[in-house]
Amino acid sequence: MLPTNTHILFHEFDYHAPTTLYEATELLAQYGDSARPIAGGTDLLVQMKMERRQPAHVISLARVNALQGIALNGDLTIGATTSIRDLHQYLTSKLQPPFASLQSLGEACNGFSTIQIMRMATLGGNLCNASPASDSAPPLLTFDARVTLKSKTFERVMALEHFFIAPGKTALQADELLTHIRIPRPPHQSASAFIKIARVAADISQVCAAVRLTRDGNLIHDARIALGSVAPTPVRAAAAERELIGQTFSAALAEKIGKRAAQEIQPISDIRATRAYRQHIAAVIVRDALLRAWERTQ
Amino acid sequence: MIQFDQPNIANLPELRQIGKPLPRIDAMGKVTGATQYAADYTMPNMLHAQVLRAKHASAQILRVDVSKARALPGVVAVLTADDLPGAQVATDIPGVTGTSKRAGTDAPILARDRVRFMGEALAIVAAEELAIAERALDLIEVDYEPYPAVFTPEEAMQPGAPIVTEPDNIVARWRIVKGDADAALRDADVIVERTYKTQFIDHAYLEPEAGIAWVDENGTLTIRVSTQVVEHFRSIAAALQLPQNKVHIMGTLVGGGFGGKEDITVELFIGLAALKTRRPVKMVYSREESILAHCKRHPFTITHKTGVTHSGRILASQVNLIADSGAYVYLSPYVLLYAASSAVGPYKVNHVTVNAYAVATNNTFTSAFRGFGAAQACVAYEQHMDEIAQALHLDPRQVRRVNYAQAGDTTPNGQAFRGAVWLEECAQRAWDALGETPPPSAPNIKIGRGLASYMQSYGRITWFHDTSQAWVGLEMDGSIVIRCGVPDIGGGQINTLAQISAEVLGVPLERVTVYSTDSALTPLAGTTTATRQMYMSGNATYQAAMAVRKTLAERASQHFECEPAEIDFADSAVFVKSDASQKMPLTQLIAMCAAEGLPRANLSLFKAPFTEKLDPDNAQGDIWPDYTFGAQAVQVAVDLETGEVRVLKSAACHDVGRALNPAAVAGQIEGGATQGLGYALMEDVQIVNGVTLTPSFAEYLLPTARDVPETKTIILESGTGLGPFGAKGIGEPALTPMAPAIANAVANAIGARVPQLPLTPERVLAAIDSAR
Ligand SMILES: Cc1cc2nc3c(=O)[nH]c(=O)nc-3n(C[C@H](O)[C@H](O)[C@H](O)COP(=O)(O)OP(=O)(O)OC[C@H]3O[C@@H](n4cnc5c(N)ncnc54)[C@H](O)[C@@H]3O)c2cc1C
Repeated sequence: MLPTNTHILFHEFDYHAPTTLYEATELLAQYGDSARPIAGGTDLLVQMKMERRQPAHVISLARVNALQGIALNGDLTIGATTSIRDLHQYLTSKLQPPFASLQSLGEACNGFSTIQIMRMATLGGNLCNASPASDSAPPLLTFDARVTLKSKTFERVMALEHFFIAPGKTALQADELLTHIRIPRPPHQSASAFIKIARVAADISQVCAAVRLTRDGNLIHDARIALGSVAPTPVRAAAAERELIGQTFSAALAEKIGKRAAQEIQPISDIRATRAYRQHIAAVIVRDALLRAWERTQ
Repeated sequence: MIQFDQPNIANLPELRQIGKPLPRIDAMGKVTGATQYAADYTMPNMLHAQVLRAKHASAQILRVDVSKARALPGVVAVLTADDLPGAQVATDIPGVTGTSKRAGTDAPILARDRVRFMGEALAIVAAEELAIAERALDLIEVDYEPYPAVFTPEEAMQPGAPIVTEPDNIVARWRIVKGDADAALRDADVIVERTYKTQFIDHAYLEPEAGIAWVDENGTLTIRVSTQVVEHFRSIAAALQLPQNKVHIMGTLVGGGFGGKEDITVELFIGLAALKTRRPVKMVYSREESILAHCKRHPFTITHKTGVTHSGRILASQVNLIADSGAYVYLSPYVLLYAASSAVGPYKVNHVTVNAYAVATNNTFTSAFRGFGAAQACVAYEQHMDEIAQALHLDPRQVRRVNYAQAGDTTPNGQAFRGAVWLEECAQRAWDALGETPPPSAPNIKIGRGLASYMQSYGRITWFHDTSQAWVGLEMDGSIVIRCGVPDIGGGQINTLAQISAEVLGVPLERVTVYSTDSALTPLAGTTTATRQMYMSGNATYQAAMAVRKTLAERASQHFECEPAEIDFADSAVFVKSDASQKMPLTQLIAMCAAEGLPRANLSLFKAPFTEKLDPDNAQGDIWPDYTFGAQAVQVAVDLETGEVRVLKSAACHDVGRALNPAAVAGQIEGGATQGLGYALMEDVQIVNGVTLTPSFAEYLLPTARDVPETKTIILESGTGLGPFGAKGIGEPALTPMAPAIANAVANAIGARVPQLPLTPERVLAAIDSAR
């Protein structure tokens, strides 16, 4: 049979719809590797149809209230099953400084393919799927986001940077759920920007980039650059960041740093783009994101 | 030359429903989801069929072992070539009386000794459940021995290349000679020679190929299927060795055709399985199967060598066209003819030589696709007009202007254009509709504009001897019934017939019901292809409705004691035009006719002009009834750093003769332009060494609403078409000019041309670099 992502699911599985976090983690503890949580299902269902994953137990997170919603209490805490669309609306309507500087995450949500996907897809699913092309990961990396992982008996918090291990692989243990994404209070005088290049509007990126700049007068006090679709995981461009800090911002500097960031990455050629093209446009969009973010710090 | 009657404009005093954007009668079912498509039907005791697809592009089959699949519980039948001795899929157009194909071009239903493309059918499984049928496919063992393969037409034309289809790989050829191009080229001030390439693309309809077959209580093989062609019942009968009157096709509303449901799809697989098992059998292609194993649009390589004067006048053209027909011939000879005959576009060129070849390769086979070769020709000739302008430092619109054909000018094959030829008018209107050019939004953005004019035939090749029939009747309650074999593929085919009869008989559109698409129960109306249904079945319906009207008007004139010409019909009433008080309900008149045994129904046949087949070595003579003309203008923004192209504005202007339903016409134009945008910028079935690298919509990209620009649609009505009320076809034409318009706009923006579709950012960047 031809692999296909358009047929109904054939392999049988048990479907669980827990209503509390405890129940959900208990089910995970019970079924371990043979279970898979499902949030919006926009990644998992495709993988199941393609028979890349065949969980015997599918555990829906949709009814677990504790995983939903966004709260501002010192940090910005986003429940794992918050939809991309709800997150977008929150970010573009409710935020005051310094959280207003999270523009890049709003832009990433807005670029998330189509309205149907934005409504179904969740932030937690986007991270747990661990695709190098995740749109939300680069902005979150530049914000020093931390993720909360919880099993039935244990809870741990880690930096998002350490969460991604390889394509499709995260630090999650089989019995753990991602419950929250926590964005620490951003420094004052900071701003961010996200740019994505895709073949059509409704597609994942060929390359995407997020930056956050913090200014001190005309100097760059702090700088963060992260890219997607250029390495096995979403990555920071650390060397490029270092060359920005302490410098006076200029268009020429942005140009130079864009090129620097492009040298740091190791993209592959695939059906979406060639390696050379990815490297080329990474330099362009990092530069443009820097220019845009700097302008926003004014 | 074909002689034509005056445009078919009715002697109706005023048009009451024709020309109005009435809601289509099929719209409500579609927007509410009530419409049943082929895959929605199920039957008691039904089996599910799946087809095993070849895993090699070119191989000999040493062994097919189906024993394990047969043994799987729930599997009811497994069929291979051994179970159907000799049966072939007829790949010609059904029901036509003239053919232009070389002998022996049919395709096997199931491959026997050899597979010629990856995805070719090898075996059919029918099982109690779909999952079982799918599992059974994995249990069939096939031993292949690789066989020499060839993947490009250029290689396949070389002496010594592996032969894909005997006797040689050139499966079709047309040579058209008009005047003396060699001599005229010598007189030219400047010669411009360029090559343009197009790609494989997929029809990408929402509804993949689907159907359900059963043997009914009379022993008739009945197939309910999503198809553009119910007349396939004839070739199905031949393939299955049944009498033609024992195969019954019930078409459904089609969830998109675009030419992809012109050839046979699932019919023979499910028909065979139903005959074998005597149970209903259903089959629905997956998207991947549809992309891999059903036909694609022909990629073309087209070279123009054109001699022009300094003022831009074209003196002579030599055009060479090579099309990839893939592993089987299907409709390649006709697609090639469309391309060859329109090779120089809607321009007056006195000296033309065209050489066109369709060449077999081990790629997925190619066949019909909206625009049918004429679209690929337009991609080349319209880019070439801009290249000529560039070479002469002239405005491309000026070069077009001095060369546009007028009525009476002839195509390379000598067919004269008739009726209104509003090329310049359309081009001007489309261009003006773009408005002012905005300043670029950033320094790295360049704005460009492009135009493309086109000609596209509507109606079939005239030596196919095309006819259509329709039956129109009035019921006792004053409602209208139409019976017509027309398949409705979403373009409003059924609604058009309804609106015509509603107009002629003065009945509200919502009181018309159309029974359609049934090879046994509705009069045969021919294929929904070649932009022919409004023209052919529209005229048949018009004739039938007019015949009914005539009977009724005569009876009413007796009643009102006036001339029949004085009688008119509107709002379900009949009245005397000059005296509105002389009036009665239509039902009363119908009852009067019924009481006297007067016919309230009519079956009418409409016949297109007939000609003789052309000589492939020097094709001279008429090929089509008529042409539609128009133009597309676009404005694009190109990012010089990323190579991204964004279409900012699109303006189309077409002379549709008469817009029977302007909303439906606009829908065709907007949809066609969007499909053309995908063709220009992103759609590309990448087949590399016979392997399809874009097997699903995750890899094969289509534009969505977010990619569609601001769009203006201008409909002109010359009234000179051959359809009812002077209408011309617009289904295919709507797509044709979009891709070259975009290519011209991009070239205008960046000062360099990407001569190969699609214009991906990588290619655009490479062109920018090479121009530096
Ligand atoms: C047409 C289409 C377009 C797309 N466009 C984009 C795009 O533009 N940008 C982009 O980044 N992505 C895109 N995607 C990918 C996908 O929509 C996103 O990755 C989405 O955010 C996944 O979220 P989900 O809730 O649907 O995840 P699911 O499919 O439900 O889950 C994904 C994976 O994460 C696991 N998981 C989910 N939630 C948790 C949790 N709380 N704890 C532990 N594990 C969990 C699941 O077990 C599964 O393995 C697209 C997908 C499709 C089908």
